[in-house]
Amino acid sequence: MISPVKIWRRQKQVRRLLHRKGKILTWTVIYVTGDEFKKFAPYPVVIVKLENGENVTAPMVDYEKEDLRIGKRVKVVLRKVREGSAEDVLVYGIKLKPLK
Amino acid sequence: MVSLIGYYTTQFGELWEKSLSDLIEEAINGVLKNTRLDKKQIGAIFFSNMLAGVLENNLHTVSKIAEILGVNIPIFRVEAACASGGVAFHLAKNYLDANPGKNVLVIGAEKMTDYSPEETTSALASAASGEEQEAGLTFPGLYAMMAQYYLGKYKYTEENLAYVSLKNHYHGTLNDKAHFRKQITIEQVMSSPYIAYPLKVLDSCTVSDGASALVLSSDRNVGRKEKSEIKVLASETANDKISLKERNSIDEILATEISADKAFTKAKVNRKDIKVAEVHDCFSIAELLAMEDLGFWKKGKGGKRIKELSTMYGSDGDLIVNTSGGLKASGHPVGATGIKQIGEIFLQLTGQATNRQVNGAKFGLAHNVGGSGGTAVVTILGV
Repeated sequence: MISPVKIWRRQKQVRRLLHRKGKILTWTVIYVTGDEFKKFAPYPVVIVKLENGENVTAPMVDYEKEDLRIGKRVKVVLRKVREGSAEDVLVYGIKLKPLK
Repeated sequence: MVSLIGYYTTQFGELWEKSLSDLIEEAINGVLKNTRLDKKQIGAIFFSNMLAGVLENNLHTVSKIAEILGVNIPIFRVEAACASGGVAFHLAKNYLDANPGKNVLVIGAEKMTDYSPEETTSALASAASGEEQEAGLTFPGLYAMMAQYYLGKYKYTEENLAYVSLKNHYHGTLNDKAHFRKQITIEQVMSSPYIAYPLKVLDSCTVSDGASALVLSSDRNVGRKEKSEIKVLASETANDKISLKERNSIDEILATEISADKAFTKAKVNRKDIKVAEVHDCFSIAELLAMEDLGFWKKGKGGKRIKELSTMYGSDGDLIVNTSGGLKASGHPVGATGIKQIGEIFLQLTGQATNRQVNGAKFGLAHNVGGSGGTAVVTILGV
């Protein structure tokens, strides 16, 4: 069961970060995952330095292999981040998309 | 002065026939036997464990230990992720400083192999920040990000990292308590599958079951009679931000640097006096960062230095590292690890390290890290 109150608390951060741009500071591709993320593996996760100086940790989406490199420019987008059982609230959060 | 007067460790490995309580019982009885102490002579116990609450709904272990041992003394449980053991030792030393004339038992134990890789990976990830967990990051993933940054910055390749595993697996063959006792080649490391790019299976320590115990003493009547007694010259710990993204540097563990500087100052020992060390090698990259952050190697030189294998047993190097096999080959039963590291230094300094004995070592160091660097403990021991 995904807790709606936790989602509500976290999502207050999401609006502030959306559409911000930045550069990849470091990255990895996760092959062995925790329970909830098994169906997404393998997936890349990156740390990005945003233009306002803030750092963000999030998965990459809509990427090509060559986009996974330090210094690559990306932007913060809204995506579904977790999925529980049929009755659960859908969880949206931030992911990062490469800029052309 | 606080002395270390005895050590016992169970086998590390997939111990399906043993529960957490069985492991605790074996380690406590083992260390009491080795020190020839009666349980009535123990004034307090510090117990280190990370995952029993998360994995097996098993908490209030302090009272379970009181039942196993049949004692009514104060028992404390310590949790600081993978640094739980080092922090338990630190607290036990401080307890003795405040309560002179006593014996204190420190025990670390973990039961991990009853669960699937996904279950243990999730449970271990509880020691990461909320944002990191939400992003699907794992501990291998966090160290992989550190590795990626380090390899790029100093122009090293995955092969440089592989030498850490080669060395520690060789040491594992010399330690009959180690989980893995098989020599591996650079080619085998390089061809093993990725866990979190650029880290592979053979860059990573393994989940393991095990328990390790030590007895610390400031009781003059007890410690002095033992021929195997060494001094705890310093035990220092520091914390840092939990999020990797918030640290001063991605490829530097500040908590290690602070603990090490404080420990060397307090112990009045120089880095070059340390002949044997156990450093936290949960992943190959972690040993390189540890050697640099502890001040043994210059920043950025780790990738080059490790290929020389001067820290391998049998080399003519001045400092031999992770003779137990490290977390890599010895196994990483999280709560036990920090205790086992200090125990290995105890064996080395008291001449009990058998076929991996480093001769002439008077000072040794143990370095234990929690999470991706949110906690570090540095302990310096001397004869």
